[in-house]
Amino acid sequence: MPTTEELQTIVAANNWTAVLPELLLGVLALALLMADAFWPRHRRVILRATMAAQGAVLAYAVVLFLRADPGVVHVYFAGSLVQTQATELMRIFFLASSLLVSHLGWVYLQNRSLPRTEFFHIVLVVTASLMLLVQAGNFVLFFVALETLTIGLFILVAFCRSSRFSLEAALKMLITGAFSSGLLLFGIVLLYGLAGNPLLPGTAEDPLNFAQLGAFLGATGAAGEVNAAQPLALIGAVLILVGVGFKIGAVPFQIWIPDVYQGAPTPVTALLAVASKAGGFFVLHVLLAGPLAPMWDTLFPALAVITALTLLFGNIAPLGQHNVKRLMGLSGVAHAGVLLLGLLAAHTVDWAFAAVLFYLCVYAIASFAVFEVMAHLSPEEDSDQDLTHYTGLMRRHPLLGGVLVIGVGSLAGIPPLAGFIAKALIFVAAFQAGLYALLVVALLGVVVSIYYYFGWMRAAVLREPLEEDPGDGRWYPQPVIAPVAKFVMVLLAVVTVVLGIYQAGLTEVVGLR
Amino acid sequence: MTDWLFYFFAALAVVPALFVAVSRKPVNAAMNMILSLIGMAALLVLLEAFFLAVLLVLVYAGAIVVLFLFIIMLIDADSAPSSGVVTWLASALAFFLMVFTALTLTFGEWAVPFAERGDMAPAAVAYAFGVELFTRHILAFQVTGFLLLIAMIGVIVISRKMKEPAAEGGSAQ
Repeated sequence: MPTTEELQTIVAANNWTAVLPELLLGVLALALLMADAFWPRHRRVILRATMAAQGAVLAYAVVLFLRADPGVVHVYFAGSLVQTQATELMRIFFLASSLLVSHLGWVYLQNRSLPRTEFFHIVLVVTASLMLLVQAGNFVLFFVALETLTIGLFILVAFCRSSRFSLEAALKMLITGAFSSGLLLFGIVLLYGLAGNPLLPGTAEDPLNFAQLGAFLGATGAAGEVNAAQPLALIGAVLILVGVGFKIGAVPFQIWIPDVYQGAPTPVTALLAVASKAGGFFVLHVLLAGPLAPMWDTLFPALAVITALTLLFGNIAPLGQHNVKRLMGLSGVAHAGVLLLGLLAAHTVDWAFAAVLFYLCVYAIASFAVFEVMAHLSPEEDSDQDLTHYTGLMRRHPLLGGVLVIGVGSLAGIPPLAGFIAKALIFVAAFQAGLYALLVVALLGVVVSIYYYFGWMRAAVLREPLEEDPGDGRWYPQPVIAPVAKFVMVLLAVVTVVLGIYQAGLTEVVGLR
Repeated sequence: MTDWLFYFFAALAVVPALFVAVSRKPVNAAMNMILSLIGMAALLVLLEAFFLAVLLVLVYAGAIVVLFLFIIMLIDADSAPSSGVVTWLASALAFFLMVFTALTLTFGEWAVPFAERGDMAPAAVAYAFGVELFTRHILAFQVTGFLLLIAMIGVIVISRKMKEPAAEGGSAQ
């Protein structure tokens, strides 16, 4: 039983100002609900004010990032919360994603009779939990934040409840999500039990803490036995990695991706593809470089096979795919493969993790540009977005067509655009790390990916628009593009082009570990 | 004596759990789940974790399984179709693999040394949980509040009927 003095020391370390951005988001989410309950007539004003407030929190996060010293690690809440410059960067990433998802939600919901306030509310809570997830320093906060994120995503995926695709997607995600959370929890519990065993060398006092668990797994007993070699530790670590693998959609845990990405409302697909995936990768890095680092030699072959399978599947599966939402989901698996390659390289090459962060930023910007176009062109049934909807887009809507070509081009990694530099950085890191076989697979994958991304661009640029309504629901919807939406799209496209030519800004910013 | 009690309650926890997985009628699965939870609570009592045992019975057997039963009643679930031979074989294989792994981990060469119960931190009283929750894990505890809030809002959003957009004070833009 801890004494009063010990408790006071713990409570004194609970520095709530350290989580001010997350607190502000939580308060904003609650205030949004209250304001909507009291003044339902002023919903548009309230929602605009929410977005402005989110922008203010984003500005505050930028200030926090600029003030953070590289290499300095802050630990708060008795080890629950670990803040570095990289987690400050991820705060900016998630807040910017949240703003863009809110904007997409605005575009998506304006013609549909679906609840608006609740959408914004859940996006805010999901963003705050993502921000806490990447800062988690023990498995308690890690799991609670992850579950808040997952449950929020279930609701958002089922948001268009009149569409059976949306409900089907939510059910599939619920089942795979619950399954993967179960595996993850089982793995955590096994490691907890092992690290708390007083008869093993280097017993951890708080076995759920990442740093203490890592120290325990790295400890060696008097007879030369290594904790990391315990079969129980191996089973626990593998279960945890499988659980995280489901969240990032690495093969063979990608089964849920195509249906969920197709059925979810377009803004939610963007949230899944960008923010949720980035959170998963950051957490995977935290786990592999922290508590599971002593087991690297045992885990590496399995991770390498998963990376190769992810790269192969992600680039072969989208071939011949006509539904653009499924295309985004399946090609997202390919991007997950490239990111996994970067994470593997990060074990030996110290700047590789910065390359992964740069890739995440570039991928996010290009994806949001594409999703903005998709949200404007989505027909009544949102999950039914076909390549035919894009035929002759350049001629019908030069702005949407141009943004689409730049976004898709960056995702494909075509030279003058940012995606090329991001891919090149990861490949150079993999080359320096000596992962030659995986590098060959990744390069082949890039060649294949250009083929299916080009199919989309070809439909938008080269093919003639349909002359008349074919009568099967494939006639073009008429998008109404608000000035804000035009500004956002042009901004995303310009950033993609500029980062392809001049990267000093962002590479310097992410030049940290 | 304690050993025999352990074996009895362990069987009570495991055998009904198996029936939860294989029974084709949802009601039977839910009732078996209660039995399994009672067995698990008794095991916790044997470990002197009384508070956890009470919580398990109150929250799971008392609230969650009753909720399951209500939902089963409301949606009037039919019994699931019987599964094919391949599923049975795969399940049996997985089951034996699991038992084998568990035995190897406990008694075989993969075993870790067993700690005496007296070495463990006592988790018998609510005080111990309260201290941990409100000092070390206060942040996670607060996040749980938001988790429950969005779960509640989610249920409302997905289940309620929406009015036409014109009735809500104009379109969004």
